[in-house]
Amino acid sequence: MSSLSLFVIIILYLGILFFLAFIAEKRATSKWVNNPYIYTLSLAVYCSAWTYYGSVGVAATTGISFLAIYLGPVIAAPFWILILRKIIRISKQHKISSIADFISLRYGNNRLLGALITIVCVLGTVPYIALQLKAISETFEIMTHSVSIEKTKVFSDYTIYIALLIAVFATFFGTQKTDASEKHKGIVASVAFESIIKLLFFLIVGIYVTFFLFGGTEDIYNQISSSANITEITTMNGFENGFNWFFTILLSFFAIFLLPRQFQVSVVENNREKHLKKAIWLFPLYLLLFNLFVVFIAWGGLITFGNSNNSEYFTLLLPLQHGNYFLASLVFIGGFSAVISMVVVSTLALSTMVSNNLIIPYGFLDKFSRNQNDKNARYIKGIRRVSIFVIIIASYYFYFYFSVPLSLYSIGLVSFVIISQLAPSFFLGLFWNRGSSKGAIFGLIVGFLVTLYTLVIPVSISAFTNSDYFVNQGLFGINFLKPYSLFGLDFLSPHAHATFWSLFFNGITLAVISLSGKGNYRERNYAEMFIDTRNYSKLGDSALVWKGEAYVADIKNVLTKFLGLARTERALSLFFRKYDLPPDTQMADARLINFSEKLLTGSIGSASSKILIANVVKEEEISLVEVLQILDESKEALASNKALNEKTNELTQLTSELQSANQELIFQYKQKDEFLDTVAHELKTPLTSIKASAEILQDDFDEMPAELRNKFMGNIEQEVDRLSRLVNHILDIEKLEHNRAKLILKPTNMLNTIEKVTRNLSQLAKEKNILFEIEDVSSVIALYDEDRIIQVLTNLVSNSIKFSDKPKGKISFSFSQKEDILEVYIEDNSKGIPENDKNHVFDKFYQSENQNTLKPSGSGLGLAISKQIVQKHGGEIWLEKTNNEGSIFVFSLPFN
Amino acid sequence: MLFFGLKQLYLFLMKKRHEQKLIVLAIVLVATFNIPLILLFDSQQSIWGFPAVYFYVFSIWLSSILISYFILKRHYE
Amino acid sequence: MKKILIVDDEPNIVMSLEYTFKKKGFQVFIARDGSEALELLENNIPDIIVLDVMMPKVDGYQTIKKIKENEKLKETKVIFLSAKNKTSDVEKGLQLGADKYLLKPFSVKKLVSEVDELLG
Repeated sequence: MSSLSLFVIIILYLGILFFLAFIAEKRATSKWVNNPYIYTLSLAVYCSAWTYYGSVGVAATTGISFLAIYLGPVIAAPFWILILRKIIRISKQHKISSIADFISLRYGNNRLLGALITIVCVLGTVPYIALQLKAISETFEIMTHSVSIEKTKVFSDYTIYIALLIAVFATFFGTQKTDASEKHKGIVASVAFESIIKLLFFLIVGIYVTFFLFGGTEDIYNQISSSANITEITTMNGFENGFNWFFTILLSFFAIFLLPRQFQVSVVENNREKHLKKAIWLFPLYLLLFNLFVVFIAWGGLITFGNSNNSEYFTLLLPLQHGNYFLASLVFIGGFSAVISMVVVSTLALSTMVSNNLIIPYGFLDKFSRNQNDKNARYIKGIRRVSIFVIIIASYYFYFYFSVPLSLYSIGLVSFVIISQLAPSFFLGLFWNRGSSKGAIFGLIVGFLVTLYTLVIPVSISAFTNSDYFVNQGLFGINFLKPYSLFGLDFLSPHAHATFWSLFFNGITLAVISLSGKGNYRERNYAEMFIDTRNYSKLGDSALVWKGEAYVADIKNVLTKFLGLARTERALSLFFRKYDLPPDTQMADARLINFSEKLLTGSIGSASSKILIANVVKEEEISLVEVLQILDESKEALASNKALNEKTNELTQLTSELQSANQELIFQYKQKDEFLDTVAHELKTPLTSIKASAEILQDDFDEMPAELRNKFMGNIEQEVDRLSRLVNHILDIEKLEHNRAKLILKPTNMLNTIEKVTRNLSQLAKEKNILFEIEDVSSVIALYDEDRIIQVLTNLVSNSIKFSDKPKGKISFSFSQKEDILEVYIEDNSKGIPENDKNHVFDKFYQSENQNTLKPSGSGLGLAISKQIVQKHGGEIWLEKTNNEGSIFVFSLPFN
Repeated sequence: MLFFGLKQLYLFLMKKRHEQKLIVLAIVLVATFNIPLILLFDSQQSIWGFPAVYFYVFSIWLSSILISYFILKRHYE
Repeated sequence: MKKILIVDDEPNIVMSLEYTFKKKGFQVFIARDGSEALELLENNIPDIIVLDVMMPKVDGYQTIKKIKENEKLKETKVIFLSAKNKTSDVEKGLQLGADKYLLKPFSVKKLVSEVDELLG
């Protein structure tokens, strides 16, 4: 195939990607772009050219160890439910746009830490990108048979043009917005598409090799098992390799979280937390499918070519060997897809870090604080665009000058070891609140230096000088300092050895330094936020403790420089509304400081936003203890918030109860008024009679007949009785209503009580020809104050007698027991109570109209008092039935 | 998502107990993928053309996919 | 012979008043509530009516309204007797056309002198 036609294929393929990404950007809200499958496939950016070509190479030369690179992610996937979800929540909350932002924010927005992480990521990623370019270049050579390219002429190498096209792609779709924490839907969609392409074509070539070139998996195994190094490539190769295997798994476990491109797709580009649900099982499945045919392609290549030279490109060489150019082109496109997605996402992630964590905080802040918004936005985008190109070109030069003698696999592992230096500060930071920025910075530096000494330098020296002196003799010829067997640890492979020592020193340094100082209040604040995500995400902007003096106008000024006036005003008005603050608030509080920092973080990184905001406010130092105290209080406040809500509800209810109670009180006051009126009236009436009678007696005592005289004297006596009865009743009801009356409860037989009442009233009853009937039961024992119940019964019975109008009157008593309540029924055959009196018989001073022809014998309080007495016993009294045939009064008494 | 969130409506909600099933699965994977367990299956045998240790790793791998699939399907709220 | 109507639901008060006015030479009519009084007034025209305010069925206020509507009774004087001692009650009674408003408990002598005064 001619190099030009292959180049055309590449251009066409890139065209498709551009188109796809463009459509995805346009329909950013469509279901096609926002679903868990796209998310999972975008995670597969993990499978780069290293997977596509490198795995086969490893399988053909050293055997199973290539698998370890995928087992780390397989182990990590179930952990995502806890760890990745937490990371995503924190990142969304703080508008985090890269791993450098994430870690530096955890350690109190530390500018230096963010910059160091960026440098480590760049150093770890540039060789990795170079590795991808190397794969393109070499597969390009294989496809076109252009055996050797003049390595000195950069511009005769197609790889540089391809690299630049990728940079254009990344620039176009990666830097449309200033806020880097916003989603890049176009890039994600294209990455997902490429993940399908690379897996599909790799499976096709796997099936082709296994089932078309050979007679299936068993056939290949049988053929290879006769070769010499079969044990080496089909087994673990012993105990020591088990350690190497373990460290490789550990590295890949870290890589799936820490690689800038993985952080980009799994955290920054995640738009729905629940997409994790699919990814947790689907992503391992993707990796499984990718690895299924690796060994068979490797062995097929070994059998076909007889040696492991160029084993990394067996996928391509096998179809070419059998003249299948079409399939070879597919394989090439698949590998190319793997490269593009990796390079695009990596450069995007790195450019964000370089701009937000390195260049802006260290060089452009002053300039930015003077510029206008649109100019700043242009600058920020410009910095990122330049970064993308610089990174890709740097990678190209790295590939061009350094990577030729190195295998894909070894470059990849070196990258992994470098990136894994972020692991201690990252993972400890998520779960350990005392990890300090100082500890993180020194840990990172120490870990990186150890990596340099034990891996990067010796690998480079042996690759470029072919001298093993350094590896074999160590620094200054000291045995203990041999880079591959530091302190005599000599049974690990170089990368496992470097992993162990670097992480060991890194972690120890982090822990020791963190514990040796008290820590800064701000980093402790963020530590608490990161570790206790659940609680702090609920606290929202109040999660940051801040004390000092700041003016809204100053902050608004800073925000405007980056967001523009319209967006700033919109954001602030939303903020004020959210926290129920007046829109003309003058002084800023901690929440606004936190909110503003977050707003800026996406555009200029967390460290810069902290610095910018800090420039316009006057922060007071707070002690660590105070911070922790305030945080605890806010958390408690949050916890009690629920209780508070309940209390509020209770209070609302209470208020309405109070209102109705108040109305009741007003009503009662009115009633009291009326009551007093009535009492006065009822008192004055007998007094009038007495006075009149007394006057007459005084004047005419001698002249009036004795009979009349006695009549008037009788009147006086009668009225005095009435008065005293009335006064007693009034006092009685007052006592009962105000709980001043004590009941003397004794178990008493109701039959005896009724007997007493009927005996007292027997004379009255006889006069009206009334018979008493009592239900024939042996005894009815209940707990009550007998004198009081006698009062009740007397009132009821005398009423019955009063209203009896039948020639043969009858008053009967009966009982019923319902659960723990005794009900006493008093039934008569009197003339009954008129319909409109029914509801008022128990009211005070209610006297039936029917009574008017009679001399009022009642005070009008009898039934009201009866009601009070029964209620004081915990029972009820009511009029069960009344008509002209008679009435039934009932009162109930509880047994206990 | 401009500015602070429209409320996070798509939170991943799962009971702690079921979450812990996944954590236990991950820990089991760490143990089964590594020495010494993996060495138990490190032999010259092969199954369907897969050397024993490959077969072992792939089986665990596949089981873990199935197990997490079922845990998430059943207990995801 | 002057005629007097006593309207009250309190028998003991009625008895005292009946005695007093009979002794003074009045022809005494007695009613125990408003309706009884109005019934009596259909055939008799007293010179003066002593009217209790609080009575069952038809109270004093309603009764005096009916009395004042009756042309035949326009010469008849009315004295209210009531325990209701609030000024509003007194005013209401006077407004309705009562010539006097006596508060209970009243002195019989006072009532007699008021009646004498009214009847000139």
